[in-house]
Formats: sequence, structure tokens, C-alpha cells
Amino acid sequence: MPDNNTSDQFTKRQELFTALYKTAFPVVAKYVSRMGGSFDEAKDVFQDALIIYYEIIISAQSTLKNDTGWLVGTAKHLWIKRYNEKNKNTALDNIDILLDRPETPSNNRLLNFLEASGKKCLQLLKSFYYDQLPLHDIADEFGYSGARSATVQKYKCLEKVRETVKQKSLTYDDFME
Amino acid sequence: MTSWSETKQIEAHLFGTADTGSALLFEARLLLDNDLGDKVMWQQKTYSVIQQYGRRQLRREIEDVHQQLFTKPEHLSFSQKIRLLFSKQ
Repeated sequence: MPDNNTSDQFTKRQELFTALYKTAFPVVAKYVSRMGGSFDEAKDVFQDALIIYYEIIISAQSTLKNDTGWLVGTAKHLWIKRYNEKNKNTALDNIDILLDRPETPSNNRLLNFLEASGKKCLQLLKSFYYDQLPLHDIADEFGYSGARSATVQKYKCLEKVRETVKQKSLTYDDFME
Repeated sequence: MTSWSETKQIEAHLFGTADTGSALLFEARLLLDNDLGDKVMWQQKTYSVIQQYGRRQLRREIEDVHQQLFTKPEHLSFSQKIRLLFSKQ
């Protein structure tokens, strides 16, 4: 079992985000500053843009033609939507929907419980479903003998987490809202 | 049938990746087995929990990068350049 903070995949993500921060964040910060916004606002919109960026390139399994341009454009769009007085009451758009976070107290409690009780399974499932890593990479990362062994373990973990989600939902009454 | 292979079948049902024969068989079982329907519902919820966990972890990793860029001496010129933009407000 790898320590999540020292794994190859973690290091690759850190390098990617550091590079993107260095190229794109100054442009976003300059824009937000010029519009009268704060450092924290620039940070907020830029980090959300990075999350959408990661999820899009992962799910499309490709790269964008102009990563920096895309990030800057998305962060500016988010800033205008969130912080520009004139636009505060505009309707939700696609980016808001992408970033929708059903973070009820129960969902957070459930995640905290799963992190404390079954981190290994959760990390394996995250690598497969969220990071969408190839099975052989997951096998290498988690020390399984091959793709088949990793697949079996993935389904066992899925079943285990599913049972926990079910049990906990019976005690957290706002969970299904 | 082992329980993990049932979990695999539930996934194929939810993701629509089962072949026609398996899909029909699974749907027939769903009609007869209430427990299976229950498992399908909780498995669907589990995928959403994994998505939330993934995003939470990613947010932590990005914040970690941010902290390094704005506290480590090797990134001083970068962080000063950004802070200067907000210093006159």
C-alpha cells in the first residue's frame, strides 16, 4: 500500500499543478486585481478552475490545446459569476453545475468516517473511478500482481464501501437529501 | 456466484456495459430479488461518494501546492510578484 503523498501519481499531479500555477495564476491574479478583487478571490476561482480542468482532461483522456488559456478563461468566468457585483444574481451555468458539491453535514461525516476506517479501499476506488488510471498502473501502485488481481480487489472494496454507505445512511438522517 | 462478481454485474447494469443477454438476465433477477434492487441503489450512491472523496483529495493536493508556492523560499520571486498585485488595494 503506497503512502498517498509519496506515490508516483501524486508526484505527477503535484508537478502538473505547480507548472500550471506558475504559468496561469499570475494572469488570473492580475485580472482579479485589476477588477478590484482580492487575493483570496483569485485563489478561490483558480483552484476551482484547476479542479474542473483535471476532471475534464481525465475523463476525456486527452490534453487541451491551450491549458493556460483555458484555465485563465475559466477562472475569469468564475470570478465574474461569483464576485462581480453586477452578475451576482445570474442563473446557474454549466460550470456551476460541474462544481456542484452536495456537501451536507452527513456527506462530510460519511467521508470522514470512510477515510478513518477504510482509507486503503477508498484510495484504490478513487484511483480507478476518479483518477481513471489504467488497471496496470493501479496494480503497480498498490502492489497487486496484475490487472486481474487489482480488478477483483476493486470490486471487493466497492462492495465493502457500499455496505458502509448503507449502514451509515441509516444513522445520518439528512444523508439522502 | 461470489459477491464480488455480483458487484461487478451491478456495475455493468448501472454503467450500461453488459451484453444484451446478461442485461436481460440481470433485469429479470431485479424483478424477483428485492435485496438486489437495494444493492443497486447503494452502489449508485457509492460512486457518488467516491467522486466526492476524489474531489476532496484533489482540493487538498491543490491547496498543498498553493502553500508551497507561497511559503517556500525557492518560490519567493513568484509569490512576491503575485502579492505585489494586491498590495496597493
